[in-house]
Amino acid sequence: MRMHKKIIRTSIVLVLVVVMSNVVMAAFPDKQGFVNDFANVLDQKSKAEMQLLGEKLWSEQGIGLAVVTISTTAPMDPKEYTTALFNEWGVGGPDDSGLLMLLAVAEGAIEVEPGYGLEGVLPDGLVGAVIDQEGIPHFKKKDYGAGLSAMALAYANILAGEEFEIVEEREGSSGWFVSFVIFVLILMLMRRGRRYPPGGSGGFGGGGGSGRTVIVPRMPRGGGFGGGSFGGGSRPSGGFGGGRSGGGGAGRRF
Amino acid sequence: MKKGTIVLIVILVVVIALGSGVVGRYNQLVALEETVDGRWAQVENQLQRRADLIPNLVNTVKGYASHEEQVFADVADARSRLLGATTPEAQMEANRGLDSALGRLLAISEAYPQLKADTSFIRLQDELAGTENRIATERMRFNESVQTWNTTIRQFPTNLLAGIMGRQPKPFFEASSSAQEVPQVGF
Repeated sequence: MRMHKKIIRTSIVLVLVVVMSNVVMAAFPDKQGFVNDFANVLDQKSKAEMQLLGEKLWSEQGIGLAVVTISTTAPMDPKEYTTALFNEWGVGGPDDSGLLMLLAVAEGAIEVEPGYGLEGVLPDGLVGAVIDQEGIPHFKKKDYGAGLSAMALAYANILAGEEFEIVEEREGSSGWFVSFVIFVLILMLMRRGRRYPPGGSGGFGGGGGSGRTVIVPRMPRGGGFGGGSFGGGSRPSGGFGGGRSGGGGAGRRF
Repeated sequence: MKKGTIVLIVILVVVIALGSGVVGRYNQLVALEETVDGRWAQVENQLQRRADLIPNLVNTVKGYASHEEQVFADVADARSRLLGATTPEAQMEANRGLDSALGRLLAISEAYPQLKADTSFIRLQDELAGTENRIATERMRFNESVQTWNTTIRQFPTNLLAGIMGRQPKPFFEASSSAQEVPQVGF
């Protein structure tokens, strides 16, 4: 009897381990920049529009926009995949101000996920409303580029109305305000010589799990990504520190 | 005389080595437990966030389906039980109750096309779905930290120290089956 219990318990743990390691080890494609058309379904015009928007959002607002199309997210469901990809890429800045829009063609799914730092400006209801109004009509006609581009513009307009707002979602540390002030100072100091070399900045590492009080002076940045939220070690040069998300946002099937 | 000194030094070195080893393990355990507690606080935040959404949601549904009193009462009941729960185990249990009550509430909406088309209802459903995804994410992170904790306190030699400190394995937060089906707003 006791033996049985032990076997059951062990197998539950084993299953959990396998499930978890699958989640962690799933292979994600390398980021290509603001627009990642892995499914090859976007037209040149929309791509160029979103690229421009991404650059503008990044340079003026410090918000990292990532648009991804992918043929399928299997074996994960689209939402799970989006959250995992967000944290794997570290979309957004050190204040977690990233926005990931992912379109999965086979699933007919659109998922939009804001980082922790944007949750206050972009509540899920608003995220969903933009998908309904700007995205779905285009997606139903399989015009993915136009839909994503219209959505990106709508989000950019909402976000541009706000100045670098940080919404603390994690452990109620009082250190964030100090970090924020230091961050703004560094930002102002580095404002002048900013360049955006093409290509992403690779590598993970950096940001640990519990709050961020370490501010690392930034090198010229590579495109709104860089750094994961797992593991320790030094930040990659050219990287920006891991943007994190907690699985918020909204999604639709079309 | 000289021999005695050497022996003394060797003993001292061994004691210091053992001692610092124990201190290191102890600190490791403390840090791990803090991580588990911190992750659980994140789960709690999201559970609270969902509980906060419920009154609005219920009111919106009431506007279209006022006679479904039993379901409204069940949801209110489950919600207050969640808010009243104090230990993680009680909260997990209460959360499962809320999952099923909410499932029934959302099932109602299927029968009311006008409710389904209501923009504020759609928004609330998005908020609810987003919060449930957040709960799922934080639950995963919490379970990862619990797994690390449970593994560490069972391994030699930390198990001895954990035994002295009276530390026990912690339970995983398992999803109830209804919570895994996040409501989707279909079009």
